[in-house]
Amino acid sequence: MTAKLPRSAIEPKNPRLNVSRSANLPHVPGIRVGPYIFLSGMGPIDPETGERNHGPIAEQIRITLANMRHMLESAGSSLERVVRVHVVLADLADMPEMERVYREFFPIEPPARTAWSMQLRFGNGCEIECVALAT
Amino acid sequence: MSSRREVIVASLFARDRASTFGPAVSTLVRGGDFLFVSGLAAVDPDSGERVRGTTASETRQILVNLKQLLEVAGSSLDKVVKVNVLLHSMLEAPNMNDVYARFFREPPPARTVCGARLPDDAKVIIECTALV
Repeated sequence: MTAKLPRSAIEPKNPRLNVSRSANLPHVPGIRVGPYIFLSGMGPIDPETGERNHGPIAEQIRITLANMRHMLESAGSSLERVVRVHVVLADLADMPEMERVYREFFPIEPPARTAWSMQLRFGNGCEIECVALAT
Repeated sequence: MSSRREVIVASLFARDRASTFGPAVSTLVRGGDFLFVSGLAAVDPDSGERVRGTTASETRQILVNLKQLLEVAGSSLDKVVKVNVLLHSMLEAPNMNDVYARFFREPPPARTVCGARLPDDAKVIIECTALV
């Protein structure tokens, strides 16, 4: 139990999704430690352009979760290995739309989740973070 | 080496609705040595219906349910390591805290409390991570 757990940063295979690096923010996209992966909060970044997508909330959720899948798969994990999700919305009224899209990504045995609304940065409509098993 | 991921169904809660957010959410997910509990709103464990009360009464209902859920999953309140409490108003923090303090023995878990806009008119949502 006291053995030192290996800790390493996670990088997305698509460099345009490495938002923290391109925006010079003081965090990494994710950390793998022991059997777990902790991802930073992710926003709706277009994987083709690296720009923020501020389209309809369903689109923003879909992009964000697709990017989360990419991030996890870049690290050898997957959405099926996610154990906990935090979904933060800028507008509480977007909850039903979020729910509708969210189900597409977690159709069976979904992770534990907490969803709420509070102020978000950069005008994003959503920010999503997760904890997953690494392998 | 692959760690075990297991969704635990708590059948003592009607329709497993303790989280109120429907079946897109698992209330209890075990991953490795930890149990991840979804954000819980106040729910009557017999009917599965949301209970709407004061911040204090919703906190009490949530923690009573949480205790049972943890025990179903082979954990307990004593094994909780981290709690996140979301309140509809930070002015209600003392009302939540008075009830909360009665549920945990010394030393209680790490905890964060913050004010947010909560779904389903919940006054309180509580989630936690515990050892199994």
